[in-house]
This record gives sequence, C-alpha cells and structure tokens, in this order.
Amino acid sequence: MNSNTLSKPAAPPVVATVLLVDDEPVSRLSMAARLKRMGLRVLEAGNGKDGLAILRRERPDLTILDWIMPDMDGPTVCEQVRQDPDILSSQLILMTSQDQPEQIAEGLARGADDFLSKSASKQEILARVQSGLRAASLVRSIESTRDELRDKQGELERELKSAAGYIQSLLPVAGEIAPSIDMAWTYRPSLALGGDLFNVSRWNDQSIYFYILDASGHGVSPALRAASFATFLRPENIRHCITQHDPAAMLVEANRRYPLTEDGNYFTIWIGSFNRVTHQLSYATAGHGGALIQRRDGAIEWLTHPHLPLGFEPESTYELTTLKIEAGDRVILMSDGIYEAPAPTGELWGTTRLETTLMDHRSAPLRETLPALMAEAERWHGSPVFPDDAALLGLEFRL
Amino acid sequence: MSTDVVFNLVEALTRVDEDEELFHTLAELFVEQAPLDMAATQAALDAGDAEALARAAHRMKGAILQFSAPRVFEATKELEALGKAGTLDRAATVCAQVDRELQQLIAALRAYVANGSAS
Repeated sequence: MNSNTLSKPAAPPVVATVLLVDDEPVSRLSMAARLKRMGLRVLEAGNGKDGLAILRRERPDLTILDWIMPDMDGPTVCEQVRQDPDILSSQLILMTSQDQPEQIAEGLARGADDFLSKSASKQEILARVQSGLRAASLVRSIESTRDELRDKQGELERELKSAAGYIQSLLPVAGEIAPSIDMAWTYRPSLALGGDLFNVSRWNDQSIYFYILDASGHGVSPALRAASFATFLRPENIRHCITQHDPAAMLVEANRRYPLTEDGNYFTIWIGSFNRVTHQLSYATAGHGGALIQRRDGAIEWLTHPHLPLGFEPESTYELTTLKIEAGDRVILMSDGIYEAPAPTGELWGTTRLETTLMDHRSAPLRETLPALMAEAERWHGSPVFPDDAALLGLEFRL
Repeated sequence: MSTDVVFNLVEALTRVDEDEELFHTLAELFVEQAPLDMAATQAALDAGDAEALARAAHRMKGAILQFSAPRVFEATKELEALGKAGTLDRAATVCAQVDRELQQLIAALRAYVANGSAS
C-alpha cells in the first residue's frame, strides 16, 4: 500500500488494490473490468484457496468474493481470514446472487463486512467498493496508530524498568542491621512504578531509624522524587541539617523542604526511631498508614494516627508516639499497594486479611513471613503485577 | 426487461459502461465457456446429483447475467432452484429448455462477434 495513507487516514489509498475471487470467468472478467475502470488495481483468483493465498501475500485493500466456489467457498474464506491475526482486519465483500436475508445473516456471522449483488448497478458497485476502501483505510490508520502506541509504550516501560532498577539499588541490604535487630524486605514495583521507598539507617551505636515513604503519582517522576527524599533522609544529611534523629523533627524539616509540587504531588511518610538501650520505639507519620507492630504472641497493633501528608501546611508539627519494644516483637512497614491489592472483582485485600496472614505466619522466620504475605496478596490479586508498588519492610527485635 | 429478444445489447452494454471491446471479449469467452458449463450441468442431472446441478446452474447463471438474456437467465435460475430443492423430476424438462435457450444465446453472440451487431 501507499505509505501516504498512514498520514491521511480519511483519504482512501491513491491506487487501491482489490482482489476479486470468482470461479466463473465471464462474470469475473466483467467485474474486473468495471473495477479497473474505477481506477483500481485488480488482482484475480479463480477459487477460494488461491484467493486466500493472494490475500495473504498481497494484502489488498478490499477483497470481493463469490459465494459459491469449488474447493473453498466465499464464507469459508471469510472465516479463515478472521482466524488469522495477520490478515483478520481485511475488508471482505461477499457477492450474492439474491439478497436473501438468511444468506446475509450467515455471511455476517462467518465474517463478511458487506455484500454485493451480482446484478448490482455500476453506481451500487462503486458505492460498496468506496465504502469498503474507506473502512480499510480507517482500519489501517488505526492499526498503524496502535503499532506506534505499542512502540512508545515499550519505550516507556523500558524507562520505568530502568527507574525501578535504580530505586532497587537504593534499598538496604537485608540481615542483621544492628546487634539483635534483624531486617528483611520484599519489594515489587508496579509496571507503572509508584514512588514507594523504604530504608533503615544507623544513627549511632544506640539508635537506628527506619522509614517508608510514598511519593504520590505513578511513573519516573515520583520515583525520582522518592529517591531525592531518600537522599535527604540519609544520616549524614540529617546530622548536617537537623542534628537529631527525632522522627517528628525530621518530618517538620521535610515538610518545609518538600512542599506540594505545582502539579499537586506530595509525600506521605512514616518514620520510626529505635533506641537499643531504652528499647523505646518513637514514631511519627505524615499521612502514611502502613506500619504495625506484631507482638511475640501474635497480637497486632497499627502504629499510625491521622495526619496530613507532607507539604500541605508549611508550619505543620508532628505528634511523636513512643512505645516499648519487647523481645521478639516485629515492626512491619508496608506500602498501601499491599493491602489495597484488588481482587479481579475489585474487592481490596484489606488490613483484616493481611492481619490474618501475619498471624498464620507468626512462627515462621521474618525473611519467610514477608514473601508469604506478598504471595497471599498476589493470590488475592490474581496476578504477580500489582497496580501499585508493593513494598514490605520488617524488623524483628531479638533483644 | 423485454423477453422477445435473445439478449438485450443496449442493456448489456450499459452494464459494461458502453465498452464494446470488453463486451466483445466477454461474448467470446462465454461462447467458449458456456458449452462446457452446460455439459457439466447435464452431467450433474444425469448423475442425479442435485447439489452439483444447483452449483453448475448457479455458475452458468452468473455468466449469463452479463448479457441481459432474460429467457435463458430465468430458465437457468429455475434449474438452480430445482437443484437446491432436490426436485429432480422436473429438472430434466427445464434443463432441456436451458440448453435450447443457451444455444440461441450462443448463436446470437457468435453473430454479434462476427458482425459487430446484435441483429
């Protein structure tokens, strides 16, 4: 086909090609001559099998098929075309000798686009052919747009993958991050890449702090904003700009530094700090609800309270909550992508099912519990790719 | 369509946009092709194969359509219908009629090709 048709979807191809399949030579010659007089390039075949082969090879803009033919009749050719992904969008006109409604219904059901009576006038043939060519041109422009979109989508997904790889490189190394504190995590970025990130840092010999944050939106931009925020939260930077590792103080400073973006994006974050001497866990949150403690006996308590995300009010202060950690307690941080994983019906997995799963796996080691939790959310969702980043960070205090 | 002529040249030429050269070619092709189709039709009837009879008559009908030849067209159409319906007892009579009409059409087309006129 002429490449012009790609950029001019409304206009039929400059020289359109019509394939005419008819076993009867006299009527085929007559129809072919009429089509040629309309300025069309005409290919001919004397039976359905040859017609199908030419259709595959030449990809005509339009194919006109006789109904009754030896070897393979017109409707069977239509069926074969509709089953072949390479040619299924071909425009097919079946020739009928009389417009019996039941014949039309059968032809439509078997894949014909339109019908042409063998005794049709010149005007009717012209109208049917032009309508078929318009449809063919439209289908081709849709197909080429679809292919372009697929290419662009592929490019975008490669960029997202590379951004996801970068985010992964920022994540901590699992294991004993401080004496008697084990850490494990599991992270599955969504296809569209959310801005979820977490980390654990040693402040000094006595203290560690850890956080999970979520940059709103999807794509490379929130991932980069999350990475920038993670850099801000590194101990050397915190020491330099706020001199203390009190989570509420860190949030006050972060709230000043990360106002709402022009397009309305913001962060939610949960930060906790643990003192190995006093066994005190202090935490503060700005709009992030994904933190819980599971005691040794399995009891679960969510570590959160309602608060605006960062960046909404420049003078916000943050409530600091402190609790005592006992030997064997686990603190688990998670992105909302976990408990908001939707089932195919749309129903979310939810915190209740999440808690039940945690109870079921309380006796398993932490490094096994988190993947089990992820697997259960995945089973609920019915697919390994979640609509949002799914991140889990767990700490176990052996003390 | 008047039925007192073997074929209507004016109408037939209109079908092909007054392209006499094309019509000539169609006529020549038909004169060659039609006896073969007629033989196939007769053979199907002789074999008592109603389906083959309908197919052969249908094919012939498509060719005849090009010449605006009302009598042979109607007879062929009837023969096809009889084949489809499987009522072969009446088909022999109609088939003989088709054969007669067809010979007339072939003769008329031969004359046309030879003289360049439909008289």
